[in-house]
Amino acid sequence: MAFLEINHLEKHFGSTRVLEDISFTLEKGQVLAIIGSSGSGKTTLLRCLNFLETPDQGSITLDGKVLFDANDPATRAKQEIRKKRLHFGLVFQSFNLFPQYTALKNVMLAKELLKKESPDYKENRKAIQEEIRAEAEGLLERMGLSDRMSNYPQQLSGGQQQRVAIARALALSPDILCFDEPTSALDPELTGEVLKVIRGLKGSDSTMIVVTHEMEFARHVSDKVIFMADGVIEEMGTPEQVFDNPQSEKTRQFLNKSREEY
Amino acid sequence: MTELIQKIIEQFPVVVGSLNEGFLQTLKLFAITLIGALPLGLLISFCSKSSFAPLRAVTRFVIWIVRGSPLMLQLLIIFYGPGLMGFPVWGGGQSGRFWASAVAFILNYACYFSEIFRSGIEGVPKGQQEAGQVLGMTRGQIFVNVTLMQMIKRIVPPMSNEIITLVKDTSLARVIALQELIWNAEAFTTTSHGISGAIWPLFFTGVYYLLFNGLLTLLLGRLEKKLSYFQV
Ligand SMILES: Nc1ncnc2c1ncn2[C@@H]1O[C@H](COP(=O)(O)OP(=O)(O)OP(=O)(O)O)[C@@H](O)[C@H]1O
Ligand SMILES: [Mg+2]
Repeated sequence: MAFLEINHLEKHFGSTRVLEDISFTLEKGQVLAIIGSSGSGKTTLLRCLNFLETPDQGSITLDGKVLFDANDPATRAKQEIRKKRLHFGLVFQSFNLFPQYTALKNVMLAKELLKKESPDYKENRKAIQEEIRAEAEGLLERMGLSDRMSNYPQQLSGGQQQRVAIARALALSPDILCFDEPTSALDPELTGEVLKVIRGLKGSDSTMIVVTHEMEFARHVSDKVIFMADGVIEEMGTPEQVFDNPQSEKTRQFLNKSREEY
Repeated sequence: MTELIQKIIEQFPVVVGSLNEGFLQTLKLFAITLIGALPLGLLISFCSKSSFAPLRAVTRFVIWIVRGSPLMLQLLIIFYGPGLMGFPVWGGGQSGRFWASAVAFILNYACYFSEIFRSGIEGVPKGQQEAGQVLGMTRGQIFVNVTLMQMIKRIVPPMSNEIITLVKDTSLARVIALQELIWNAEAFTTTSHGISGAIWPLFFTGVYYLLFNGLLTLLLGRLEKKLSYFQV
């Protein structure tokens, strides 16, 4: 059984069907790249995985545990949703850092709030705080931001902000980290530094799903590629299969077009 | 001319004593209104955004009534209404008048504040809340740790306006004979503390309002500056 299994996911907004019969699997430590033209449903898929949207049909199974099944009311209950969200992390296209906190605090906040709920928090407050801070500092260091920890988001470049956002998502050690076009709000010069950081996460057995328009990145970093068109998976396979030997006409057209732009 | 100035100098200590007393009442009404209307306004703003449609409808209706009618009328209704209906809750003394004023002002200002809070909350980008959600925060945690500060920053300028208007609005309470600043000044135009027919105390109240509002403007400006370390 695969680490992540998505079965027959379907999502409507009103009468428009945005996702249709989405099924795929992902192994632990693998990187999945999702490509596809604008409006094909890539963001909606990531939002479903992060429980920001509720699918109308289908199921999400992680590590053998059914997190969501549209036909099982128990898995649709709102109370569990918070715990489920912690299995997934999401890095937004527009960063969405908290502007009133420093880079370091952005990374620490969620973990602090989570730990505050544990029964031993009161006794070990200091030690726990220290630990959270050390972890956050370590993450920011890994993102190449050691000298930016006490800066506020507005004082950081887009690339730096996105790297803080990645550290923030990593702080909760999600099983699967999702990226929604992490570089498309960035100037071309800043794209490289963010992609480098994401590439660096590979191998440290992070399982990742990356929605991207960076075809070279998708080809070289991913283990699996999905091409989406109009809410369905049009083509899926290894990077070699999808990029060098696409079976679908739509995929070929899309790739040709993105090569021209490149 | 010199005669008038001489008279004013003579009357000054007595008048200022009485005006101070009135101003204290003004300040009390101002303070209690803020203390009551800020939290109540936040509560009303939540109700007006509630996903429970009847609560939302009732709240919006109340806000419409309160904002759509004169505060002076609301004062009159709240002070005289219960008595007319056979439940005289306020009593006739100054303390009854004060509490009736407090209720009217808190209700009225809470409705205005609630609209400011609402636009402040709605102004925080949806992505902020979603960022909190995917980090496993609860709704309450997101409000307190993410939204609140950004909302406060957004609402300080419109709030400052309302607060300064409130200082001036307190003088409306004289319609139910609360002896606030203007009431005490006006009394000198007839007779008060042995002084008759003096109109200058009425003009002099302007100094109180201007000084106090100047102080508030300074403080609120400082708060705004303090929050300028981040951008929303
Ligand atoms: N909240 C919503 N309500 C209604 N329609 C929506 C909503 N969110 C997305 N859609 C629609 O769903 C479709 C897929 O949107 P989605 O954002 O998932 O596409 P995408 O592949 O991420 O596109 P892009 O590359 O532009 O980011 C679009 O047609 C969009 O208009
Ligand atoms: Mg998108």
